[in-house]
Amino acid sequence: MKIKAFIILFICLTQFFSTSSIGVEPDEVLKNKKQELRARDISKNIRCMVCQNQSIDESNSPLAKDLRILIRNKIKEGNKDEEIYKFLTYRYGDFILLKPPFKFSTYALWLLPFIFLMIGIFVIYSHNKKSKKI
Amino acid sequence: MKKQILIIPLAVFLLIISAFFYLLIIDRNPSEIPSNLMNKNVPNFKAKLLLKNKDFLSSKEFGNEKVLVNFFASWCKPCRDEHIFIKRFSKEKGIRIVGINYKDKFSNTTKWLSDLGNPYSDIPLDKNGRIAIDWGVYGIPETFIVNSKGIIKYRHVGPITKKVYKKISLLIEEIE
Repeated sequence: MKIKAFIILFICLTQFFSTSSIGVEPDEVLKNKKQELRARDISKNIRCMVCQNQSIDESNSPLAKDLRILIRNKIKEGNKDEEIYKFLTYRYGDFILLKPPFKFSTYALWLLPFIFLMIGIFVIYSHNKKSKKI
Repeated sequence: MKKQILIIPLAVFLLIISAFFYLLIIDRNPSEIPSNLMNKNVPNFKAKLLLKNKDFLSSKEFGNEKVLVNFFASWCKPCRDEHIFIKRFSKEKGIRIVGINYKDKFSNTTKWLSDLGNPYSDIPLDKNGRIAIDWGVYGIPETFIVNSKGIIKYRHVGPITKKVYKKISLLIEEIE
């Protein structure tokens, strides 16, 4: 029984530590390591519009490659990260960001979980109070 | 009193279920993303033209009349499927159609056009896909309607089918 549990734990851990796939091709990589790291960081936050559930850092679709190169060119030209995000969201909308921004139209998305948590705590609390009385 | 309260979670649950069911059965493509360029100016670009020995300047070509912009390539099968409708837009609606040729080979495009017919007034070449990025294109074919002020009024992702043809035809008449 213990062995079984150990095996399951081991499998879970291998999944946890496995590296995610990388779509970046060698010819795209920038010589300047600092700039390359910035490009990788941005790429990880940008959705591949073709696959839609991968970042462009992981995807091997042609559009993802184009966007990776475009981001690297923009970095080389001296653009700031925010400018690059702005450039991409102007064209593709907020959907291109894997993490939706916190703004008026997304308040419900970000805040509802906390509101539900509060309601849950309130329900449990009031329920406990009642049952203690009885 | 307690029984009445118990109904509330059930009602909420049924409401959510019916919302999901409604979204499931209506005719929609969940992976289609609305264009962020809607009601914005046409992106600025300059490109070489196929079959013509001059450059295409977006600032000069848009803003004079209604234009249908169609991203296509000879290697794209759905583009071939929708081509008959692009020709119909040209013939039946008389609208100017600009066909942006996406990552294609000169010889393949010219052969494709001579086989299927050429409804395009101009064919700017997008060799490396940079123009497509400026238009927020993520999968060709894509079709845009640009009004006579040079503002993007509609975008369709994917091939034009009979149903889409009817929809765009109506829009062409509505849009100034």
